[in-house]
Amino acid sequence: MKRALPAVVFAAALIGLWQVAAELRLINPIFFPSPGRTFAELYMQVTSGRLWQPLAATALRMLYGWALACVLGIALGAAIGTSRGAREYLEPLLDFLRPLPASAIIPVAILFLGLSPAMSTAVIAFGSLWPVLLAAVHGFKSTEPQLVELCETLEMRRGEVLAKVALPGALPDILSGVRVSLAIALILAVVTEMQASLPGLGQNILLAQRSFRSPELYAGIVVLGLIGFAVNHGLLVAERRLLRWRAASA
Amino acid sequence: MIAARRVGVSFGDRPVLAEVSFDVAAGQFLCIVGPSGCGKTTLLRALAGLVAPTGGEIVVDGKPVRGPARSRAIVFQDYTKALLPWRTVAGNVALGLEACGVPEPRRGERVQQLLAKMGLAHCAGHYPSQLSGGMQQRVQIARALGQDPQLLLMDEPFGALDAITRQGLQDEVARIAAEQKTTVVFITHDLEEAIYLGDQVIVLASNPGRIAERITVDIPRPRAQLETREDERFLDYRHRLFGLLKH
Amino acid sequence: MRGLVIPSLLVILWEAGSRAGLLPPDSTSRPSEIVRAFVQALADGSLLRDTWLTFEAALLGFAIAGVLGILLGAILGLSPRTERTVGPSIEALRPIPAVALIPLALLVFGFGLRMEAAVVAFAAVWPVLLVTVSAVRGVEPRLLELSRSLELSFPAQLRKIILPAAFARIAVGLRLALAISLVVAVTVEIVLNPRGLGHSMISAQQAMRSDLMYAQLLWLGFVGWALNKVAQR
Repeated sequence: MKRALPAVVFAAALIGLWQVAAELRLINPIFFPSPGRTFAELYMQVTSGRLWQPLAATALRMLYGWALACVLGIALGAAIGTSRGAREYLEPLLDFLRPLPASAIIPVAILFLGLSPAMSTAVIAFGSLWPVLLAAVHGFKSTEPQLVELCETLEMRRGEVLAKVALPGALPDILSGVRVSLAIALILAVVTEMQASLPGLGQNILLAQRSFRSPELYAGIVVLGLIGFAVNHGLLVAERRLLRWRAASA
Repeated sequence: MIAARRVGVSFGDRPVLAEVSFDVAAGQFLCIVGPSGCGKTTLLRALAGLVAPTGGEIVVDGKPVRGPARSRAIVFQDYTKALLPWRTVAGNVALGLEACGVPEPRRGERVQQLLAKMGLAHCAGHYPSQLSGGMQQRVQIARALGQDPQLLLMDEPFGALDAITRQGLQDEVARIAAEQKTTVVFITHDLEEAIYLGDQVIVLASNPGRIAERITVDIPRPRAQLETREDERFLDYRHRLFGLLKH
Repeated sequence: MRGLVIPSLLVILWEAGSRAGLLPPDSTSRPSEIVRAFVQALADGSLLRDTWLTFEAALLGFAIAGVLGILLGAILGLSPRTERTVGPSIEALRPIPAVALIPLALLVFGFGLRMEAAVVAFAAVWPVLLVTVSAVRGVEPRLLELSRSLELSFPAQLRKIILPAAFARIAVGLRLALAISLVVAVTVEIVLNPRGLGHSMISAQQAMRSDLMYAQLLWLGFVGWALNKVAQR
């Protein structure tokens, strides 16, 4: 704990400085509200319960689209990654689609689905699909060939090989793709909320900006940061457990 | 048990094996020696059914080899790529039994038996990466035995191990083969190992691989590392075959 | 060239399906019209103008992120004590999704170039920062010993060994940051900034000009792909 001291002191000093500067009006309180007001706003939202609905809306939106993307991504990734033919036909296309900004699909989605929750889910699922899909394809195509031969000598059925060898072998790649996917899902959840005025944290901070209620804006940013941290950390913990064989070595 | 008739394997237009013929009786231990690149691994893979011969035929137990089968278990040379790193030792051994459809609780019992037989009981819960090379090869052998194979094919299994570990494993394999009456085909580049272990030794010449010499090892079992290697017959065989390996 | 089979098939089916009246014309358009819209947007300069506006913001944000990231990264990398003190406060900002800062940037800068560049910079700084810290740290002991044994002066050490050695790794972070810059710029434009390709796509969608929208989308895809290829030189 002693080692953490300088960091804590520094952070506290920064916040303290900001607080003083805000109170002395050295910085524009509209653009940079004092930490005190931001925290008070956050506290009020938590205790009055006003935080939970938008928080849940954003979180559920993100998780739902992400889960869809993961299931689809892993399934398609398995199909494409294990088939040399499929790869030859599809890899150039995937290569081209990879750098495309996920948000660019939003205008298309609006055209088909309007400014609706369905549009949001579609965009989130589509955008989060790519990292998982590409990672899964890579993971499945990198299955150790000698292990596949071993499966042949054991006369294992294709499904068995997939479940017992290909999938566990691809898991490290898949999990890192899943983590990136979740980050993208959060971003797209916020973006689609802003775009379509759907209830959630994204819409809240946009409304706060429009009414110049900056403590609310900052509080919203803090909450979004916390969500980002929590989900990423959660996945890291899950990853460590699922891949605990990697950590063990002679 | 095994009848190989004029087996030839070519990759493209490059002949790797040409006109290799030999017989192995049931329960016999055949060792195949030869210099690097002589095609001995290819021959083993053909016996396993992983490679289709471009010429000739291999018949095992009266049936021609058309592809891989559980009755022909293979122990690979590179154990790091032959064990599932995400499964424990017990899990890896169980793989063979799972593939053969052995249900619980019989499967669990068999796994315990195999672990005990190969001296792996104490590390059943460890992952392969936590074990030494020798131990990892034992796991591979245990898994292969779990298939209850008619034929055990071993591809230079002890090549990457130190001398002491190698000797210990040689004796274990000999003992198990004798107990289970399994037919074994054992590939090695080590002439002494081949003579020590085999009932029959085939020396392959390279470019293309063909039989240069074939001997029957008339030394009784069980054999011992020290005594057998000093036996007159052992040294005689060694002399006879030594020159053929220089290439 | 097998890779072209499926895209070509899709294009043919799309065109045929549209002409046969199987697809709703307003939302799906058809390849022939998309090509027409593309050629026109190219000819009247709107496509290139929009592309430039997007790039302007992306590159400005990228430059800020690059300078800030390398400077901060070098300082934190060279001084473990500074890293321990300042590092955690900086790390606390990392989980914040850059898009969450769009309203804040709008508040401070209003619409336009600066606001977009600011959001881009926030998003792009992280890969540069992290990679620089580890790259500089990685250089310190070994090569410094080497350069000392060569009896070079410190500025020469920096110029000849430390920075070149670190730069190879920093370049990897910069490449990632560049890709992120483009993506974030387009995102900000789609959400609310009235400039650039992203905004034009939304405008096309609102005007029910799906042919133009798809043309812009494909162009964006091409631009992103080309940028990636160039960055990999």
